Amino acid sequence: MKTEHYRILEKSKITDFLDKLNTISKIAAPVYKGFNNYAFQTIKSAEEVSLKYIPTVIPPKKYFLPTKDSLLEFTVGNELKVEPTVEYENLILFGVHTCDIAGIRCLNMVLSDKPKDTAYLIRKKHITIIGLECNDYCDEFASCAFVGAHLPTTGYDLMFTELEDYFIVHIHSTKGSDIIEKTGLFKPAQTIHMEELKVLREKKSAIFNNEIPTERRYLPDLFDRSFNASIWKELEQKCLSCGNCTAVCPTCYCFDIKENVDLSLQAGERYRVWFSCQLDPFAKVAGGIDFRRERSARQRHRFYRKFRYHIDRYGMVFCTGCGRCSRTCMAGIKLKEVLTSLIRESEAKIWRKWL
Amino acid sequence: MSKPKVAFFDFACCEGCQLQVANIGEPLLDVLDIVQVVEFREVMSEKWNGDFDVAFVEGSITDEHAVERIKKIRERSKILVALGSCATIGGVNGMKNSFDLEEVGKYVYGESYKFFPTLHTKAVHQVVPVDYFINGCPIYQPEFLTVLKCILQGIPYYVPEYPVCVECKLNENVCMYDRGVTCMGPVTKAGCNSWCINNGNICYGCRGLTINPNTEGFKEVLKNYKIPEDFLIRKIEMYNKCKEFDKS
Repeated sequence: MKTEHYRILEKSKITDFLDKLNTISKIAAPVYKGFNNYAFQTIKSAEEVSLKYIPTVIPPKKYFLPTKDSLLEFTVGNELKVEPTVEYENLILFGVHTCDIAGIRCLNMVLSDKPKDTAYLIRKKHITIIGLECNDYCDEFASCAFVGAHLPTTGYDLMFTELEDYFIVHIHSTKGSDIIEKTGLFKPAQTIHMEELKVLREKKSAIFNNEIPTERRYLPDLFDRSFNASIWKELEQKCLSCGNCTAVCPTCYCFDIKENVDLSLQAGERYRVWFSCQLDPFAKVAGGIDFRRERSARQRHRFYRKFRYHIDRYGMVFCTGCGRCSRTCMAGIKLKEVLTSLIRESEAKIWRKWL
Repeated sequence: MSKPKVAFFDFACCEGCQLQVANIGEPLLDVLDIVQVVEFREVMSEKWNGDFDVAFVEGSITDEHAVERIKKIRERSKILVALGSCATIGGVNGMKNSFDLEEVGKYVYGESYKFFPTLHTKAVHQVVPVDYFINGCPIYQPEFLTVLKCILQGIPYYVPEYPVCVECKLNENVCMYDRGVTCMGPVTKAGCNSWCINNGNICYGCRGLTINPNTEGFKEVLKNYKIPEDFLIRKIEMYNKCKEFDKS
């Protein structure tokens, strides 16, 4: 931690900061929607922003991968003309929690792998991420300590950490330092501030404890033993296949491609929309065959996508511990409970082998 | 190339879906550029004696007279489209099927009920083959345009087989169950872009049940939310009573 990379913003100046930021660029920040629901929305004034919030309904990935994303425009007629399209704009995301930053890092990994998702990569360049560290758990659904997403590491331009009567701000990119300069409200950090940050992080390490009774490094083994675990059958009865868990997941990126022609029937666009492995039509192919007809197989697939497959391919766990899937599930399927059940069943199996 | 000849017909319904078409706004001009509307009682007086390329049928089939009429329309139409809940799933008219027909007749017409013979309510496809379905009570205008364009391109239109929750979640609405209200979204076919919930209303299930609903699982969910099962059955039957004719 180099002191020169840190700045101080007095808490009383946060409103000034946001309003100044709003003159520089469009800002999206967490806004309260009622009934303990929050959403990232573009804001007009600082008053709309909720600095204390639980993860938003949909993660900020919606700005990187819009729910509906135009891919190309075409005209037919005498000659077919096709033009690829990317819609993007400069945007500052303010108040992004470390779990959601971890989610964007997962997306970066996959979408910059071949074949590159050009639209995503262009959009990413135009988005500035200002993080906001959580000093305590948002609620009982989070499992961020298990995946190590409760602390800021990388993947942001600025990181705000709330201390007694000020925010200590970590500058992590030139985009970030530009904002510090342009808003002109920050003071350099001093040793005392760094000390207080250190104290906070120590306090956090007492609050945030691994929420799952295993360690990350055992995940591949656990999942290799769990393909026929009994919990999947239980989920068959519970799951409504509404697709909420995948819609709200910061690391899901599956989409469907559709076309829309205008009423002249001569021109139109090809676009993608978010799609989900939990939905009936997802794995259906010609001839009415469905590769994952059973809800249990779909739920199992979801868990393997988060905790097994991507470890082989990218060396990363694709769960950020944000807890959204558990929070949104009407049927009460809870990620922490599913993992715990897998661990218990797998332990029992190992013991039987030895006894 | 002459424009396809399009007609609109209504059976037992409120004609609200046809009104949605008439009231579609600016796109109506573009629609009229590509089709020729030859019969549409709600908006014009002209009639047509020939065949139709596309016939949109609103309403459910509730008596012998209607059965004969829809069969004739089917014979005269290359493509038949069921328009709105009454036509696609029987809709609210289906509630009649929960009662004895004689009792229903007496309730409405008193002692002269014998002059008004009635049948169990059926959706259009339960009487004649239907090529395209536009669900909803009323229909969702953007979906009407999508289906019309599919018809004119000669490609099928697939009604989404997943629940309204999918679209609702992407619209980032606060879940009705979080608000403490019972919503039919989890078991109702999507395609309406969660129109009602976006505007603060619950989903009434007007588009019909999803193809593969986890009924037992949903009953468990209702228990958790302390919602009585028969309350939900009645909610489902408000629009979906005719579904039982699909099983035979």
